[in-house]
Amino acid sequence: MDRWFPVARSEEVRPGHVFQTSLLGQEIAVWRGRSGAVNAWENRCPHRGVRLSIGEQIENELRCRYHGWRFASGSGQCTHIPSHPTQKPGAALCATAYSSTERYGYVWASLQPRDDVPSLPPEGSVAVAVTPPVEGAITTLRSVYVAASLEAVAERLLLGRVARLDAYTLVTEAYDTAGVDDAAVANIDSVYWLLQPLEPCATVIHGLVGKLIPAAQRLAGLRAYNARLIGVRDAVELAR
Amino acid sequence: MITLYDYELSGNCYKVRLLLHLLQVGFARREIDFHPGREHQSPWFLALNPLGQLPVLDDDGWILRDAQAILVYLAGRYDPTQRWCPREDAAGLATLVSWLSFADGLTATAGLARLHDTLFYAADIEQCRRGAHRALRVLDEHLWFAEQEGRQWICSREAPTIADIACFPTVMLSEEGGISRLPYPAIRRWTDRVRRLEGFVTMPGIF
Amino acid sequence: MSAVESILWDDWHVVAELARLRRDGRIATTLLGQALILQLDSSEGGIEVLRKRSTADGYESVGASAERYGFLWVCLGTPRRPIVEFAECAEPERLTASAGSVRVAVSGLRAVENFLDLSHLAFVHEGYLGEQPHTEIQAYAVEPLADGGIIATGCRVYQPKASPVAAAGFDVDYIYAVLRPYVVVLYKANPVEPQRKDMIALLVQPVTEETCIAHMLTCYLPHDAEPGAIRRFQQFIFGQDRPILENQLPKRLPLSPRAEISVRADKSSAAYRRYLATAGVRYGAIAET
Repeated sequence: MDRWFPVARSEEVRPGHVFQTSLLGQEIAVWRGRSGAVNAWENRCPHRGVRLSIGEQIENELRCRYHGWRFASGSGQCTHIPSHPTQKPGAALCATAYSSTERYGYVWASLQPRDDVPSLPPEGSVAVAVTPPVEGAITTLRSVYVAASLEAVAERLLLGRVARLDAYTLVTEAYDTAGVDDAAVANIDSVYWLLQPLEPCATVIHGLVGKLIPAAQRLAGLRAYNARLIGVRDAVELAR
Repeated sequence: MITLYDYELSGNCYKVRLLLHLLQVGFARREIDFHPGREHQSPWFLALNPLGQLPVLDDDGWILRDAQAILVYLAGRYDPTQRWCPREDAAGLATLVSWLSFADGLTATAGLARLHDTLFYAADIEQCRRGAHRALRVLDEHLWFAEQEGRQWICSREAPTIADIACFPTVMLSEEGGISRLPYPAIRRWTDRVRRLEGFVTMPGIF
Repeated sequence: MSAVESILWDDWHVVAELARLRRDGRIATTLLGQALILQLDSSEGGIEVLRKRSTADGYESVGASAERYGFLWVCLGTPRRPIVEFAECAEPERLTASAGSVRVAVSGLRAVENFLDLSHLAFVHEGYLGEQPHTEIQAYAVEPLADGGIIATGCRVYQPKASPVAAAGFDVDYIYAVLRPYVVVLYKANPVEPQRKDMIALLVQPVTEETCIAHMLTCYLPHDAEPGAIRRFQQFIFGQDRPILENQLPKRLPLSPRAEISVRADKSSAAYRRYLATAGVRYGAIAET
């Protein structure tokens, strides 16, 4: 599908760590160059197909665990082949870099090249009155991984007071306190539920609260929302 | 002098080797032909450990079995900083012990899945994998919220404890039993931190 | 589902280590997708091999089975040629032993190709079969074998610890031969007697197209090498390869030269893929489009 998907919370893609994820069955290795710019590459070395996510970051390059081939941040260009150390690798030799960007506290990736930016609410989404999130005034929740299809997850989320903006984006209407005792999560303006299709039977629920939860309430708020999403996860998986 | 009865490819033996290296304590290895020889079930070994399990520690003739117990002993006896297994606070110690039990649970699920998938051990593989994923979910959530509170390790804020060492090998080898760590980002970051510890050593399957 | 090609179906494959079968009495395994039962016949001491019937319940007998080099070999069809010959194993002074069997979640063809590979030694087996900065692979020769397969000669790698008895690092000369699609052997200079060679064979059992069992056969010159140490070393080395193999995508071996990039150091792997394509091997492979 030709669109942006969130693949990780920005703060979870740390320098020196290669973040392994997937989109529609295509595995992706997400990592940060030294400048802070994010890379989302096909998780497969072009040499012998070994996952780049088990490789390691060395300076501004990713080194494959199998034969030590190195690929530069940004272009994915192969810069070094240890078995032929004095030769410059051919220009065509590179890791496959997908379009990637950061917005709203997430790293986003697209399997088809894009030069726009992800927007919330999504373009072309159903006209529902929702507040667009404002960078810097956002709290991203713990992402919850569910062993079920995206549709099964969406169906379960829609049982709450949740509206569907498009196939992958749902939103909790204002003041949704159903089943939530904790005052920290009551009276929230809106929560976007962004669904990342890992595989046909695996989905990630990313939750984006359109408000910066005050520090004193933040941990309790994160825990309360996490408990809620775990409940969704367990119900969906039981129903399979 | 410490002698470790040991098998190279055992996660439980490796965790003891790892702590010995992190503590910079010298030791001799007595390698047991676990596979295919099944030497751990031979009469002479059963005389040493009637449970027929590795690892077994011999410290100047004193014998101790059970990987988690060995970690406790080594941390108590050979760690001058007493950070690897802090014992002053009853609640803290008890919490640490609960994670040692958790590590045993990982051995019985993810560890058994690995033995089934690599060395043909009889096991209900689906049950093992389900159990492993349940445990890994618990660990991932624990570590994620720990990160939110500024804690880098399972039990403590500043430094790793034997709880991290006890859980690390079976987690790191989980994929050899068909258990992917893709759904556990907090665990993946934690394994990076363990691997960066000064004195860290590898085993085949862990890099 | 189409039939498995004759080059595999009508050939011999290892299905078990004899020591394990004698100890367990009965092993359930799979070869080329076929469920097998291997049973010790307690009265006569022979081995019965049964295959699950495809169209009805129960099992039927598989005629062609044989014991060689400490392993049980089976042919599901009609053997077109004998079991591979390892002349070295007949030399009386050598230590010939199985180094165990390990299941791997990848096509057996990937396991064979990894065995041939030189440029991973300094990374995956760092400190043993290779070491940085000695990563450069000098040109070596690859020829087809008359009977099918390939042979690579003139391979040379600096190895800090080439075997359990290696006391120091040295430049090791290797010869590799692929004798069957799923059988590969290497000969490497013995550390004590470098003009003679130790032999290690990887006898790969294709379980399914995307899983295999690697049976390891070692045939070493003794020179203080203790059989347990040889086996442990081989398991150690293979234990380092296994997670790499299981992290290869796709799991089946792509035969098209355009699918994965080869450089000069990959001469034997490129030749192996060409051999498989020419020989019509499809099982465990992704054929050229």
